[in-house]
Amino acid sequence: MRRRVVITGMGVVTPLGHSVADMFGHLVEGKSGIDRITHFDARTFPTTFAAEVKNFDLGKFLPSAARYGQCGVNTRFALAAAKQALADSNLPATGDRTRIGVYMGSGEGSEDFHTVIGGCAAAADASGYKVDPGKFAAYAARHLNAPVEAELEMHTTAGHLAEEFDLLGPNFTCLTACAASAQAIGEAAEMIRHGDADVFVAGGSHSMIHPFGVTGFNLLTALSTRNDSPQTASRPFDATRDGFVLGEGGGVVILEEYEHATKRGAPIYAELTGYGTTGDAHAMTDPHPEGRGASRAMKDAIRDAGISPADLGYINAHGTSTPANDETETLTIKAALGEAAYKVPVSSTKSMLGHLIAAGGVVELIIAITAMRRGVLPPTMNLHHPDPKCDLDYIPNAAREVTGIRHVASNSLGFGGQNITLVASRI
Amino acid sequence: MTIPQRRAVFTGLGVLTPIGTDPAAYWQSLLAGTPGVRRIGSFDPSALPCQIAGELPGFDAKKFLPAEMKSARKALKTMARAIQLGVCAAEQAMAAGGPKKGQIDPFRFGIEFGCVMVATELDDLGKGGQVSCEGPDSTVNLTKWGADGLKNVPPLWMLKYLPNMPACHVSINYDAQGPNNTITSTETAGLMALGEAYRLLGRNAADFFLVGGCDSKTNPLSQSRYNGFYPLTKSHNDTPAAAVRPFDAARDGCVIGEGAAVFGLEDLEFARKRGATVLAELVGFASGYDKGKKGPVLAGVIRNALKEAGVGPADVDHVNAAAGGWPELDAWEARGIREALGDVPVVSYKGLFGNTGAASGLIELAASVLALQHGERPGTVNCDKVAADCQVNVHIGPPRKVTKPVAVKLAYTDRGQCAAAVVRKV
Repeated sequence: MRRRVVITGMGVVTPLGHSVADMFGHLVEGKSGIDRITHFDARTFPTTFAAEVKNFDLGKFLPSAARYGQCGVNTRFALAAAKQALADSNLPATGDRTRIGVYMGSGEGSEDFHTVIGGCAAAADASGYKVDPGKFAAYAARHLNAPVEAELEMHTTAGHLAEEFDLLGPNFTCLTACAASAQAIGEAAEMIRHGDADVFVAGGSHSMIHPFGVTGFNLLTALSTRNDSPQTASRPFDATRDGFVLGEGGGVVILEEYEHATKRGAPIYAELTGYGTTGDAHAMTDPHPEGRGASRAMKDAIRDAGISPADLGYINAHGTSTPANDETETLTIKAALGEAAYKVPVSSTKSMLGHLIAAGGVVELIIAITAMRRGVLPPTMNLHHPDPKCDLDYIPNAAREVTGIRHVASNSLGFGGQNITLVASRI
Repeated sequence: MTIPQRRAVFTGLGVLTPIGTDPAAYWQSLLAGTPGVRRIGSFDPSALPCQIAGELPGFDAKKFLPAEMKSARKALKTMARAIQLGVCAAEQAMAAGGPKKGQIDPFRFGIEFGCVMVATELDDLGKGGQVSCEGPDSTVNLTKWGADGLKNVPPLWMLKYLPNMPACHVSINYDAQGPNNTITSTETAGLMALGEAYRLLGRNAADFFLVGGCDSKTNPLSQSRYNGFYPLTKSHNDTPAAAVRPFDAARDGCVIGEGAAVFGLEDLEFARKRGATVLAELVGFASGYDKGKKGPVLAGVIRNALKEAGVGPADVDHVNAAAGGWPELDAWEARGIREALGDVPVVSYKGLFGNTGAASGLIELAASVLALQHGERPGTVNCDKVAADCQVNVHIGPPRKVTKPVAVKLAYTDRGQCAAAVVRKV
């Protein structure tokens, strides 16, 4: 009999609230977290809007917030989300701390755009296409802020969580683009099942709402450019969708071995019953046209959970609002669920939250679990022009009350072809 | 507590290092103690405090990919150097012993890589910068960048630098549709990727993995960044071969290296059925976070890995340490080793090529796998006098005979993440 893994705490920092309750309340109301970019002057960029986290103050969560002044917002989001989740789980601060691990699907900090671009310009030849590396290094040495640079490295986020909360077990960071935090949760749960730890602080955090991030995604033409209407720009599964909306944030769940949780009388939000993980082996950005790997991940997760497709009461889709994703994800769900695909409600909360990149998976799992517990499914907003190729029940434009849901799934599909499905179940 | 596991064996190896760009050359250089740390040759490093590194001079990715890998060769232009290194090492490992098409269900073929932030190539951003910057100190005007600058950046710019791209390209090259993850925990990334693949094989989620690590921070942006915050030696610009001094009394920092290593790691039964040559067996893995870098958690990690392997200190031929001549970190590692293993012989190979970052764990593990195979263990260079705060039994000088069946490989980060893998001779 394998060890069971349950979720005993949840915390988020998102464009729609800095707690699970606030965020979920806004999602049910159909509110949008998307607006003009304020983090930097983006007025002339092809895309001028994003889903930013607003009014975030780490000091409201941690008395030691000043210690993290050199850290990127990604790390500060993670600290706040972890603090919420740990408090929520009521996990004692004593005991063998080497049995508590950290697994974050976490992005890098924001690179120093002004130094890198300024240095490239200063060291470029007359054509602009050849940059003198020695001259660049001299410019960089004068401008880079060393302590901030140290904090850009991706392992620092999980390291700070370990230091702040005294978590001495396995300490992993993965970055599989938009699948990262879901993959982190899946692999962390497997480590608990195996016996490598009893508890994991797992999730992710990321912000790419900076000049490099918007530049990179704009060059790939992945972002919506509906600058005249930011709040309706993210329209997953709609025929007029034109790209995703960049978001930012963090989320953490406390994964705990079932006996460990029940012995201490912990609150149990759900059991993490299913995990599926595959690779597309197809292309750098485009999903496989038939959702070959993604449907396999869904099937694996459903089998891992020991349920049949019709048992699923809700799927939180990856649903990015890009033309390619939403069509192939629809094919994916049909391939994985068969006939049941038309009966299981599916929604994309990215229509309101934007795309939190590495942090998307954990936040969307938390949304799915909260929907199951409250019996309210958050909608896919801005879905007014049905796409004939997207013909499932996407819960368009208004939340839906339901009863008796016992199992929910969340899909996370990353650039590079990583496909993750998580299944959570009532206990 | 532990569920009985399927056994995992190494069956293929690819390495690209500053001291050899295939396993045979790497092994010869390890035995001979050939230095790979030199003055930085890829650009003029005069502005940097540390002007030496472990580079792969003249690395040309095309030479490592056979002509029939047409689309892979074409894709090289969308890969930064770190990613090319990983892709080329993977091809070596596959050519050496990977399953042929038809020998494996694509969904049972997984990829695990260790990689980290990959620095942008400067030439990609020169023109955009030029049309957007103004003033005596080349200050960016974001309005100009948004309107005109970014148009001058190659459209696929971002994809050249994503850390999960080695795993992505490798999965495409060999139609590997199984689990695909990229661990980004800097110097522990490669060993943790190996540990995760080991768990995935153990729970029957795949039959075969390519497990790799790749990194290249020898470029001007990474070097500039690391010179600011990382313990690099600044006193050996004229004596690069003696710069990196693991556990030595006179150690004062490491140097940046670059490279890649990729292993084929597979279920023993699967390897037997397809007739693969087994290089060594992976028998234990553990990891943790040693807050304050004191030693006890690292020692516990070593003990947990040995426990999983079902062996004790008396079975261990050597510990392959991560020590890179860092004042603080080497002493931490020595405390951990001393507590868990006592007087077991300790080697570190960073003296030859520096800190290859996310590739370091697996490049260095390859040395232990080769040592167990050849029955001979290369010694540590540049440790002339073991430091008072590093009281471990360092194997210094010429190679010695391997006398016991097991080797322990350690990795850690500057923050406190640490990992141990235990490998056994077959």
